[in-house]
Amino acid sequence: MSAWRSAAVAVAALVAVAGCREQLATPGRCPTLCPAGNVQLADTVLTAADVADTSVRGYVLVREASYLLASTLDSLQSVVLLRFNKLDTAWYPGTDTALVGRQDSVVLSLHVSQRDTTVKQLLLLIYRLPGLLDTASTYASIRPYFADSQLVDTIAVSDTIKGGDSISVRIADSLVIPAADSGYVSLGIAIAAAGKTAFTIGSGNSGTVSPGLTFFVEAQPPLDTLRHSFPLSPYVGFFVMSPPPAQPPPGLLTLGGIPTARALLHLSLPSVVVDSNAVVRATLLLNTTGPVGGFAGDSFYVIAQPVVRDFGVKSVLWPDSSVSGLVKVGQGQGGVVAVDIAPVLRFWGTTVGDSTPRLLMLRAYPEGSIIGEARFFGRAAGANGPQLRVTYVKPYTFGVP
Amino acid sequence: MAAAAALGGAPRAAAQDSVFGIRGLGFLDRSVSANSAAMGGGLCLFDGASSVNPASLSLWHGTAGWAVGAGSFHSFDSGSGSTTLTATRFPLIGFAGAIGPRVVVGATISDYLDRNWSVIQAEIDTLRGAQVAAQDVTKSVGGVSDIRIAMAYRLRRAVLGVGLHVLTGSTETTVNRTFPGDSVYLPFTQQQVTAYRGVGISFGALVSPASGVLASASVRLNGQLRAASPDSVLHVGMPVETNGGLSWTPMTGLLLAGTAGYSTWSSASDALQAAGKGRSRNVWSVGLGAEATFLRFAGKPLALRAGYRWRQQPFAVDTAAGAPGLDEHAVTGGLGFETAGGRATVDVGLDVGSRAAGALRESFTTVYVGLTIRP
Repeated sequence: MSAWRSAAVAVAALVAVAGCREQLATPGRCPTLCPAGNVQLADTVLTAADVADTSVRGYVLVREASYLLASTLDSLQSVVLLRFNKLDTAWYPGTDTALVGRQDSVVLSLHVSQRDTTVKQLLLLIYRLPGLLDTASTYASIRPYFADSQLVDTIAVSDTIKGGDSISVRIADSLVIPAADSGYVSLGIAIAAAGKTAFTIGSGNSGTVSPGLTFFVEAQPPLDTLRHSFPLSPYVGFFVMSPPPAQPPPGLLTLGGIPTARALLHLSLPSVVVDSNAVVRATLLLNTTGPVGGFAGDSFYVIAQPVVRDFGVKSVLWPDSSVSGLVKVGQGQGGVVAVDIAPVLRFWGTTVGDSTPRLLMLRAYPEGSIIGEARFFGRAAGANGPQLRVTYVKPYTFGVP
Repeated sequence: MAAAAALGGAPRAAAQDSVFGIRGLGFLDRSVSANSAAMGGGLCLFDGASSVNPASLSLWHGTAGWAVGAGSFHSFDSGSGSTTLTATRFPLIGFAGAIGPRVVVGATISDYLDRNWSVIQAEIDTLRGAQVAAQDVTKSVGGVSDIRIAMAYRLRRAVLGVGLHVLTGSTETTVNRTFPGDSVYLPFTQQQVTAYRGVGISFGALVSPASGVLASASVRLNGQLRAASPDSVLHVGMPVETNGGLSWTPMTGLLLAGTAGYSTWSSASDALQAAGKGRSRNVWSVGLGAEATFLRFAGKPLALRAGYRWRQQPFAVDTAAGAPGLDEHAVTGGLGFETAGGRATVDVGLDVGSRAAGALRESFTTVYVGLTIRP
């Protein structure tokens, strides 16, 4: 072995000794072998944190919702309006052209989103509407078409049908399409039941299954032995309500519903709350004005997200979902709803978050997929308004040396 | 609110050189070479690599560089349980060179005070009317290093040495509070860096009163240690460190050496008390060792070493009046051999002992590996 190789081995031995590292944990004894400082926590409620608040409706519109709502509730009456795509006048088997002749049957398919299973004997009332349905229709303007003379069929929904099930029913032998309707068929859906209730079906938005209308037809002679089906999806589907949607009442924080509402909450916080990572828990306490709305047994989330650019109702939200507060609320829930927003306060203490407004957007999740709505007292309600409960660590004393 | 209570399980200490490093200014290090460590520290006044005596630089007759690595295994017994810790460090590195026939200059960087420690405490807080389990990990990383620039001057029958010392370093202390099993509460972390500055000067002498006998003494005068955090500054009085020793070569191939030291660490007491810590005390240290070079390895002499050492740690473990201080005993051993054609020396030292203060007891085994290169 050369001299320098021997030296290299020696160096390797030295490095090997240095390479062994660190084994944790042995029992100690306080106070003798413990640090002098103690982590001490304090808890306080900031009653005047909310310095400005407002609610605005219209973030998810009726035509963007993932459901179509029919309702007979006292608080909300609604019917579904569907204008289907144009029915073709021919199809092309092989090299032939088969013109649509006699209709054999018409089948309506619906995908149930939600229903109140406690209300029995649910009926879907299918009405014929003008083919070129006016998309600006209102509940009042469309109501005359929901007359017995326009009734196409009545579908009895089994009490066992629940959200997620599909309904496919032959509603007519034929639906004659007047020339003036240019091949379009429009239908309206209302409901009736043993009690007042609501019923939603998929709209086709947000991955839901849209309603479908299938025409089963024969060809005109001489090809009248040929049969064909034309599945039509909605050209447009929406629902109209009474009372019509309106902006939330002032002084309240309103979330959810449709068109969906959100609330903006402008907070004023002491610097100690946002200038450090000392906050270990911060809970926004929201006092409900009444039971949370929605289907019986239904629930949704209340989310508090920080605003990074304050453009009023069009404010830009911080996209990181981990920087938010989240709590689940159920239909019928009242009292105080607590949303933990410590990650938001931590965000405001970062270099990025420091320049952002102390502004929270409160919204429901999933937006546009639930009919539930929650209302909370705003700051105008004084002691019943939003409060922020903060648990934080008092400055830790390390000591010197 | 939030009255904290220790859980049934005791707090735990994490990786560190000694659990006692949490006390006072830390744990007093030993800036000795591997061969001196193998001889119980008895050789440290007569060893050119150790940074205790500037006059010992005269033992180098050319250029040399050296480094020491040390791995430690500790077993700590608090009276209610025990476990094992490990740590690795590089307590000493240096180089020296001769300038003419009389003068040797050198520089060393060595550990002076070790402030590596970590304590885990389990607690239960009462928060918002409910009991919440919490865990605090308080950790200190760093310490104080000693940078020495020294010179030795050979006279006819003696060597004189002088060294300038700069104490420098920092500790980063972190407290981390977590709430295991409760995701509603976020973790909390706070950190403080404390920087240390100080200076000192040391003098040493080596004389040969008789054939085969060397006597040595050194004294080190330290200024105050300035410990500065963002919030406060503390000036700590540092000790006068005196050492004296003898080495004797009764026959060819056999070396006996002994050193005793005394340090006036009570000078730090006032500042430590002002900072809410326990007092410090003046401390003694004694080291005895022998080296036999009768065997050969690969044609070169193989040095076998053994020793014993005892020392006191200056910082109070228990602040109660009359409480025992921390004393340390160890038996040592090791070997050394030349390699690379005589241009390098490898020394291995083993230091096995215990330190105790009352019912608190820590046993340890430290392996020193030193490499000296003479290009």
